[in-house]
Amino acid sequence: MKFEHCIRCTICVENCPVFRVNSAFPGPKQSGPDAQRFRLDGEKSVDQWVQLCSQCKRCEIACPYGVDPAEIILKAQIKYAGEHLRGPANYLFANNYYLGALGSLASPIANRIAATNFAKRTFNLLGISTYMPFPRFNLMSMNKGRRKVGKGVRKVVFFYGCFLNFNRPDVGRTIRELLVSLGLEVVLPHQVCCGLPALGNGDIELARRFAAKNAAILAEYINKGYDVIYGCTSCGLTLAHDYPGILNVAGGKKVAENSYNVSEYILKLIDEGAINPTFGPVDMRVAYHIPCHLRAIGIGYPAARLFAKIPELSFDVLDDHCCGLSGSYGFKKKNQATALAIGNQAAALIKESGAQVLAADCGACRMQLAHLAGISALDPSEIMMASLRKGASTA
Amino acid sequence: MIAGITTSMIRTDVVIIGGGATGCGIARDLALRGIAHYLVEKDDFAAGATGACHGLLHSGGRYVVTDPVAAKECIEENMILRTIGKKCVEITGGLFVRLPGDSKRFRDRFLKSCEEVGIPTEVLSPTRALDLVPGLNPVLEEAIKVPDCSIDPFRLCMLNAYTSRQKGGGILTHHKVIEIVKERGRCVGVKAQDQFTKQIKEIRARVIINATGAWGKKVAALSGSDVPMTLSKGSLVITNHRLTNMVINRLRPPSDGDIIVPNEAVCLAGTTSIPVDDPDAIEVKSLEVDIVMGEAERMIPTFRTTRMIRAYTGVRPLLQADGGDSRAISRGFRIIDHANGMFSILGGKLTTYRLMAEKMVDTIMLEFGLETPCQTAEKPLDGQDELSGYPLSKRLKDISGVICECELVSRDEVERVINRIGTKYIGDIQHRTRLGMGPCQGGFCTYRALGIMHDMGRVTSEESMRVLREFLERRFKGIRPALWGDQLREEQLVESIYLGILSMGKDA
Amino acid sequence: MSVIDYDAVVIGGGMSGLMAGIQLLEQGHTVAVVSRGDPAVCLSTGCIDVCGTVMDPLAGVDALPEGHPYHLTGKEKIRAALDKFSDIMTDVRLPYAGRAEENRAIITPLGTTKLTCLVPRTMETAPRKPEEYIHVVSFKGLKDFYPSYITARRKNTGFSLYDAGVTTTMGIAARFEDRQFLSEFITWLKGLEIPDGKLAFPAVMGLEHPLSIMQEIQTQVERWGFEIPTLPPSLPGIRLFKGLKRVFQGKGGDVYWGSPIASVERSGKHIEAVTIETKGRSTRVNGRAFILATGSFVSGGLFAQRGEIQETVFGLSVASPGPRDDWFNRDFFTPGHAIERAGIHVGRDFRPLEGTLENLFVCGSILSGSEVMKYGCGHGLALATGLAAAESCAEVL
Repeated sequence: MKFEHCIRCTICVENCPVFRVNSAFPGPKQSGPDAQRFRLDGEKSVDQWVQLCSQCKRCEIACPYGVDPAEIILKAQIKYAGEHLRGPANYLFANNYYLGALGSLASPIANRIAATNFAKRTFNLLGISTYMPFPRFNLMSMNKGRRKVGKGVRKVVFFYGCFLNFNRPDVGRTIRELLVSLGLEVVLPHQVCCGLPALGNGDIELARRFAAKNAAILAEYINKGYDVIYGCTSCGLTLAHDYPGILNVAGGKKVAENSYNVSEYILKLIDEGAINPTFGPVDMRVAYHIPCHLRAIGIGYPAARLFAKIPELSFDVLDDHCCGLSGSYGFKKKNQATALAIGNQAAALIKESGAQVLAADCGACRMQLAHLAGISALDPSEIMMASLRKGASTA
Repeated sequence: MIAGITTSMIRTDVVIIGGGATGCGIARDLALRGIAHYLVEKDDFAAGATGACHGLLHSGGRYVVTDPVAAKECIEENMILRTIGKKCVEITGGLFVRLPGDSKRFRDRFLKSCEEVGIPTEVLSPTRALDLVPGLNPVLEEAIKVPDCSIDPFRLCMLNAYTSRQKGGGILTHHKVIEIVKERGRCVGVKAQDQFTKQIKEIRARVIINATGAWGKKVAALSGSDVPMTLSKGSLVITNHRLTNMVINRLRPPSDGDIIVPNEAVCLAGTTSIPVDDPDAIEVKSLEVDIVMGEAERMIPTFRTTRMIRAYTGVRPLLQADGGDSRAISRGFRIIDHANGMFSILGGKLTTYRLMAEKMVDTIMLEFGLETPCQTAEKPLDGQDELSGYPLSKRLKDISGVICECELVSRDEVERVINRIGTKYIGDIQHRTRLGMGPCQGGFCTYRALGIMHDMGRVTSEESMRVLREFLERRFKGIRPALWGDQLREEQLVESIYLGILSMGKDA
Repeated sequence: MSVIDYDAVVIGGGMSGLMAGIQLLEQGHTVAVVSRGDPAVCLSTGCIDVCGTVMDPLAGVDALPEGHPYHLTGKEKIRAALDKFSDIMTDVRLPYAGRAEENRAIITPLGTTKLTCLVPRTMETAPRKPEEYIHVVSFKGLKDFYPSYITARRKNTGFSLYDAGVTTTMGIAARFEDRQFLSEFITWLKGLEIPDGKLAFPAVMGLEHPLSIMQEIQTQVERWGFEIPTLPPSLPGIRLFKGLKRVFQGKGGDVYWGSPIASVERSGKHIEAVTIETKGRSTRVNGRAFILATGSFVSGGLFAQRGEIQETVFGLSVASPGPRDDWFNRDFFTPGHAIERAGIHVGRDFRPLEGTLENLFVCGSILSGSEVMKYGCGHGLALATGLAAAESCAEVL
């Protein structure tokens, strides 16, 4: 029993971004191992306050003894959601994938409508927060266009995820271009939502359905010798941890074992001698914000290790704060104040660093921090692509 | 006022010495029958066997084969207590588990005796039993369901004392009887010393009741009397969390380590039976812990690796027999009239405390020539409204303002207790709220509770340092036998707080 | 499985591990710190205890029993480690005050006093004389700090309470990072009528910028102020840890956080790698040398079964103080429970004496004979042994 290891040291509490700013949330220790002693099978859940946990997983990484409060809380959240009526916002975000598809298809109109005051008021009524401009949809989603690009000894399937697909396919295409230019064959598989929004919004069955579908598709590619690259670190954590874990889908273990962060994969190929890219100079001062879910995967900060190879690039690694958005968490109006309070702390440090630009491997972090810190945000791949282009032109 | 000098004379009709279940039960019964009384207890409520038992409200199944009379009393009292004490009895149900190798003949006798005595039983297949208690050893042969319950002995005493106070009874905890006052060969009163201030109170009464359980002999001796009793130590361990939601018994002739009881958010497992001489000099031995865990593991396998947070021991006051296994001595009780104004009530068990009290007070009524009937079986215990109830999961609804995070005790609750009983003892707060009874065993909340007492101006700094040190020492005695694995880690953390951050070991 | 290579792999990201890592980075090596979680320093007062038995800590070191690891480092190394520590903490704007030759007394949240050596500068002006008037300023509802403890124990102490709107150490510290909150607090503080003397605050005066926050308060109200450490969640502890970790990362060190060690790869007496259970696919971290800095029982470096004590990563033999019944004194307050002596025996080179692994170095509270509580030597020991172990390790690289 992992939660037996808890000695109430409060290290998890020290790391919880929500606890710090929202007094209604008792923190990971009380919500996890403390409350677990009182939760009884077969009794209805009354612990509504567990919904305040943003599942950033910082508590889990900080715990010196592997108690994993986040997982205990997640199960309590799922149980509570299963026994009580969900709000409209929860329902919408669980079905993020379908909304994204619709938004993308109708993007010229959707974007215009989303920006109107009428839409904002409707969002607020539905329980969706509007402190940030609603992310714009893009017509040219990733799943349009060529399925397979590039040629090489190594082949990868690119799990780009909903955000890159429907909102920022330009970044998705840059990642693809990066991988292709390194000499890889890149396939864009048919894919659905990784399932995290459904899991985080009280619909574990929907999450399982998404996961089962993806796992089946990806497993087939893996069997044919492909590695899986994920474009968003939250998708990555879901593939690596939840697919074989709480979602427990067929092929989940295989997917988990063969999924890579972009930078991690590039470093792997360099270490194995398969590629030997020339990194040209990029004169930039970058605040590299580490997404909470990247930390949770445990592979360290591979993009930072790549940044270190880029001449003239100076960067600060900022891994002490959560961005506050936590996927759909901050988009729910009831969490708005919390998300802002957390995000402003992270933004303050970014501004203090004097960086011109911020980098983060997660689209949600980029959206939130660009908005709060007032500087532009890039995926690390964009910086690496710029460096490679420079490297190629000077070669 | 100088310590050691008698301050005032209190006059009443009955003095009860002993604040365990029996003593508190007698106080309540006297109160409901309108008899003036004082209760004197040297520690806090339930400091003897009452607070050191299994917390099991017996269905009677454990005695049904060897002592059917006791078993009948148990099932009757069980039904009464679960009705009058809804906030101190959790209706968990119980199972008697038969493992491979356990005697089938015993099982048959068990079922037959239960039927004769009137204990409702239900025979369950292994599958059904595992449904009810998933943690059971899957190799079990069968389980027999009985109406065992879990009872909180501290709450029980507290609620009984509540009625007494309401009706004008005097409750003096932390007062040790140092002398039984005699005049012309009759016991006419007691001298009781406040353990905190050392002041002495004298209480004169028509009748004195010795309800001190394991201390029965010592107290009787104060008046020159003797009581025939045998003392037997029983040790139990407490787990970090509930491994079962039903009481689990072993279906075999009573032996060591047979019982596992869910109690609040933990499990109590035990017990042992070792003869002792002095109730004040007992401690849990590592060997006992190993025995108990070994036996418990047979019924619930995760006991092998589960975390223990504490071990405790209590002394059973048993009516004297000539040698033999003390378990075989009847758990029945006796009232002895010393014919000098003092009565002793001995033996018994927690489950039948009310009945014992009733019989004792009936005797007093006869002494006084009164006929008021007993109402303790009909009237629900007073004071239950403000207590948190069962099931436990309900308590998670609102956990703001808690200061003991392990056991969900709020600052308001603590202040209420401090205001009501004006205590300087953290133990008193602990017994009434469960503060400090969870996994960290008061690591954080002890400091907070005492801080609240400071805020409320209830303690001076000398008093609080003394109280804190005594509490931490007492706490340590119970934790020491359980210090390995995660609980040892817990202890290292607690040391780093009290000896490190708070620098209590050396005040520079 | 993923594979990454480093010169040195430090297992355990606490005071001794980070110190060792920093030292190795400065000597030009590639270093990874692998840590299952955050270290015990996060729960501490944030002060550096060197030896709390007498006023001169280094003299106190001389008097320690033979088996104490300080005798392996020597006093010069202790001094060097403290100097190095002071330098690097200044670089991350978390400066410390104090000298290796002199302990100082700080006030505890119980109103007692505690001897320590180096303190964060936010605690520097804690009064040296018991007669000095101090005014404790705390926060309504803060359940981990009670000014009444201090006012009851210490003469010449007053107190006031401010309503911060939040009641936790972390919450209040986060509020102080907000300029608006700070200025409102200062306005309130200025309005108080209090006798001359220093202001004492529970250590919640900010998360990343406590010194500048304290300096602003002191400047505006024209009084000295100091922080008093609290029970965990402890801000000074967190600040110390995060600061030291930032130094390590700033010098180019990599951190791998949150994954337990699944296995050790060795050939004969030579450790080749440790494998960590990263999500999805484990990661093999190759190294030429390894440093074990996993701490004592709280952090999980040592684990006590019912009969024996284990070292949890390499299975090194642990000097144990006898059977379970002997691990603890009968009384809580009798100084020096035997269990505190449990740990790993090392030689002057900080290699385990059992000699089974040649490229492994051990430092910190996992060392046998540390008796951190009894001698009040926690972080000082960590820094000194971390430095010493790193220097030995560098000779192998």
